[in-house]
This record gives sequence, C-alpha cells and structure tokens, in this order.
Amino acid sequence: MHFQLTEEQKLIRDMVRSFAETEVAPSAAERDETEHFDRALMFDRLAELGLTGIVFPEEYGGAGADYISYAIAVEELSRVCGSTGVTLSAHLSLCANPIYMFGTEAQKQKFLTPLAKGEKIGAFGLTEPSAGSDAGGTKTTATRDGNDWILNGSKIFITNGGEAETYVVLARSDKSAEKHRGISAFIVEKGTPGFSFGKKEKKMGIRSSPTMELVFENCRIPGDNLLGQEGQGFKVAMKTLDGGRIGIAAQALGIAQGAFEAACAYTKEREQFNKPIASFQGVSFQLADMATQIEAARLLIYNAAYRASAGLSYSQESAMAKLFASETAMWVTTQAVQLHGGYGYTREFPVERMMRDAKITEIYEGTSEVQRVVIGAALVK
Amino acid sequence: MNILICIKQVPDMESKFKINGEGTWYDRADLAWRMNEYDEYAVEQAVRLKEQLPNSDLTVLCIGQDQASESIKKALAMGCDKGVHIADPDSSQREPIAIATMIAGFAKEELFDIIFTGMQSQDRGSAQVGVMVAELLGIPAVTTIVDFSYDENTGAIQVKRELEGGSKALVTATTPVVLTCQLGLNTPRYPTLPNIMKAKKKELRTVLPAPAAVDARQETSACYFPEKKGGGLVLEGEIPELADKLIQLLKEKTSALA
Repeated sequence: MHFQLTEEQKLIRDMVRSFAETEVAPSAAERDETEHFDRALMFDRLAELGLTGIVFPEEYGGAGADYISYAIAVEELSRVCGSTGVTLSAHLSLCANPIYMFGTEAQKQKFLTPLAKGEKIGAFGLTEPSAGSDAGGTKTTATRDGNDWILNGSKIFITNGGEAETYVVLARSDKSAEKHRGISAFIVEKGTPGFSFGKKEKKMGIRSSPTMELVFENCRIPGDNLLGQEGQGFKVAMKTLDGGRIGIAAQALGIAQGAFEAACAYTKEREQFNKPIASFQGVSFQLADMATQIEAARLLIYNAAYRASAGLSYSQESAMAKLFASETAMWVTTQAVQLHGGYGYTREFPVERMMRDAKITEIYEGTSEVQRVVIGAALVK
Repeated sequence: MNILICIKQVPDMESKFKINGEGTWYDRADLAWRMNEYDEYAVEQAVRLKEQLPNSDLTVLCIGQDQASESIKKALAMGCDKGVHIADPDSSQREPIAIATMIAGFAKEELFDIIFTGMQSQDRGSAQVGVMVAELLGIPAVTTIVDFSYDENTGAIQVKRELEGGSKALVTATTPVVLTCQLGLNTPRYPTLPNIMKAKKKELRTVLPAPAAVDARQETSACYFPEKKGGGLVLEGEIPELADKLIQLLKEKTSALA
C-alpha cells in the first residue's frame, strides 16, 4: 500500500492547476455575479485539454486515465471555481458514465464518443418536483408506441440543463410494476420535438453553472435510445450516483482547499495587536483543524476513486467520501469567512463565494442524510 | 531534423526555501519540483518546430536525481519523442562546465541539428551551461532568444535576441546550433491529458554520468538570504520626471515594456 500519486497523476494535477489558476480563476467572481456559463472556457477548453473523457478508453474518445486523476481534475477546477468543477462532474459522471456502463456498443459510438471528446455536453435528469431523495417516486412517464417511446413529465434542478446536448433521463415505463422496477433510463437529445426547457434556477451558489428544468410533452424518442434494460432504470440511476459522488466529493474538496488556502494566506498577512493573526494560537488551531479535515476528506475520496478504478465495490466508500467532504467544505468555508472577519462577508474576497458554493455539495447527488442512509444500510444489512 | 532539448528540474519558486545544514545551498527537503521555466520555452519551441517539420525527432535530456524523470515526462507529454535521464544525485553541486561536459558528451554521439535550452536555470542562474555546450561541441550559440523561425527552403534559422534597454537583435544562423530561450519566446502549452497518458509509453532511458572530464574549478562556499532592507526603492521628483524614471527602470529591470 502506498499513498504517493503516480507521475501521471502529478502531471495531471500540475496541468489542471496551472490551467485553473491562469484561465478559470480570473473570471470566477464575475461569472458568479452575472450567473454566466462561459461554455468556451468552462467546457470547450476542458475538452481541448482532454478532461471531458478522462476515465473512458481511447476507443471512445477518452484519455484512459483512472478515477483518481478524475477526482484530481475536479478538485483542482473547484479549488478556484466550484461551477466549473460541477460542469465537468455532471457531464462525465452523470451522463457519459451511465452510457459507458450500460450502453450498447452502438450507443457508445453514437453518444459516448462525442461526450468524451467534449464535442457535446452531457446532463442527467433524475430529480422531479416530487422525486428527489426518493428516486423511486419518479412520475415522468415513458409509454411505448411501436418501436418508439413517448416521454411526458418534467425534471428539475438539472445541472448543465439547457447547455447540454445529451441527456440521460429516468422515466416510469411500467405503471403496474413495483415502484423501483417500473423505471427505465433513456438517452434524449436536445432538439428532439417535445423536449424543451423550463425555468432557469436562481441559486445561492455555483451560479455560473446552469440549472434548468427539463420539460417533456409527448416527446418521441427512438427505441434504440433505451439505456440498459427496460425496468432497469433505478439500477442505472443508483450506479450512476455511486460514481457521481466521487465527482461531487472532489468538488467539495476543491472548494474547501481553495477556502483554506485563502484563509491561510490572509491570516498570515492580516495584523491585529501588531502581529499577524495566524500567530495567535486560537487562529492556528482553527487552521490546523481545517487542514486535517481536508486531508482526511482527500484520502477518503482517493480511496473511493481507487476502488472504482480497480473494479472493486465502492458504493459505501463513495458515500462516505461525499458525506465527509461536503460537510468539510461547508465547515471549512464557514471558518474561512470567519477568519477573514468583515472582509470575508464581502464579495471582495473569494471565500464568500466559496461558502455559498459549498452548501450545495451537502444537497445534490444525494443529501448528507441520504449518504448516511446508504452507509447505514450497508452496516446493518 | 534531430533536436535536443536540455531541461533542468528546479524547485517551485513559490516554495519556502531553507538553507541546508552546510550553508552552501538550499535544503531539498519538502520542496515541490517543476521544470525550469526557461526550459519550458525551449520544449515548446522544439515541439512547434516538429509541428512544422513532422519528421523531426525530439530528445529531451535532464540531469539530476531520480525525480527528475517527472520533468522529462512533462516534456514528453508536451510533445517530445524520447527522454534521456542522466542520473546524477549530486548535479546540484556541480559547476556549469561539469554539467555542460555531460551534455556535450551525450550530444556529440548523436549529431543534433539544434540544441534548445533555457537561457538560465531559476535556481542556480549561471546562464553558462548552454554556451559551454556549444563551445565543447564547436558549434555556435545564440542566447536569450525571444523569437524563432525556420525557413524550410533555405535551411536558415532566424532568431531575435533580447538585448539590454529594450532593444533586440536579429540573428541568422545555420545548423548545428545551440539556442538558449528567454521569457517571451512563446507560451508553453499545457500537456493534455491524453498526451500525459501517452507519455508513459515513450522511451525514457536512464544513463549514468560519464566521469568528470575536468577538475572542479569553482564551488559555492556559502548560500544565504540577504539581510532584510526596508522601504524598497523610492523615486522622488516631479510627475513627468517620475514617469520617465519609472519607465526607464521597468525597461532595464523587467520585460514589462519590452
């Protein structure tokens, strides 16, 4: 057992950090303020750097790297901009990955390859007004019509919504079946008649990441777009979210790391009572606790990512990583604002944005409560 | 075209430096390492030349400890074809002629058309190795280049050199030649993720250093931080005069107005 990153993983960290600091960070505050999704920067540039298909084989346009490299990339982007981090995470974990895991060869060629190459953005439609944590409560319907399926219903809070060209959507295909068994997954392309976008959410944080409602009104999709087996949708969703948790955990870690570094630098410079406030033990103890939590979160995430790449089960580990990293992000960013004092509460300093960005990591892709359900269920099984 | 790029691995300049126990150099412990910035310009220029002349072969060479292979991998991921690591754990203690002798010893076997390197290293900063390699190989060196072009029809290399006071010189050269690269030559590319993965499969040869051909003629007897001076530089005078002084300072001391 060893805890060293490989040379490739170090190179990936250096590359993404350099890109994030040079190109992503300068506009992060403004994009947050104006709620602007800058596709050229936040997605097209990621594609040029080969980040949009990190974990997929080269034959599908990916880079053939491991999940630790993926976690590192999301972490480094989120260290300067949580919105850019989640753009990559939602695209890769929630859309490209279920197509890779459950798609037919033809579906992989048609849908996964352009996603991995970054020619198209991906998104995932699971949540509905009445089906959030309870994914089995999906009300969107899919009705067979010859070889086609007709979708009706709506999906809310969809990350990359509106911008994405390819959507993996969960819908109830068998009303008579037991709650979890009657759901199927479908691939829906932007521009399909009957598929439109509803309102764009105005959010507390990750404001330059678009979050939209998807609306399906007699939306006809070809039978070939059924992803996985009919009735297998709940399984597709759960397996997708296992991987998604690594992405969101890495996003939370990056946000925490960015806030910690800002707090560390500020407390070394800020003088009160004629000395830097970091020299007060009360402050240094806070920094020590922040650094310790962040390092623990990182190790949990890398462990879950290692297991994902090694083909081992990682559902529980990714839930633990997501739970711990997101709660760490919320706590660390709150501390970072506190250590900045009044300045931390203003938009002059990035920690204010980071604190707002951190909150969502405790909510989306499984709330902290749901992560505890996942972890607890495995313990008492 | 057969091209050699000589790089050095140096500490990240944002590291917190400490002087080593002997007081002769910095302590290597707990430092993050990266490719010397000027050498990144050298790698980038070589890769661009290969894009112009796809049959070119780019060899990247680095002397140093085991971890120097990380910087070689980066150069491979940026587009170099193969790497050579001269494994020398004591390289940081060697004077420029010793380093240049090792490089020339390797280069004379291979008959390179162009040798690109940084104009200096960010840590030692002697700016001597490139020109010494040229001297040992008996070929010309053009230093501190900030622009490069190669004419495929005539085989002429044209470079701009940066001189003092903001002036530049245009130099034409033919191969073989050593070129040392300065800030402003280009913007080094990010090694893309697929290229990082492909770099794993590229040839990386580790060789032992040849015995020193020359006796040491210089050594660093002390390395220390200067005493802290307060205040910085304060310019005085009327505003137009101040502006002139500032412009002159920026021209002389920085490349901001180059």
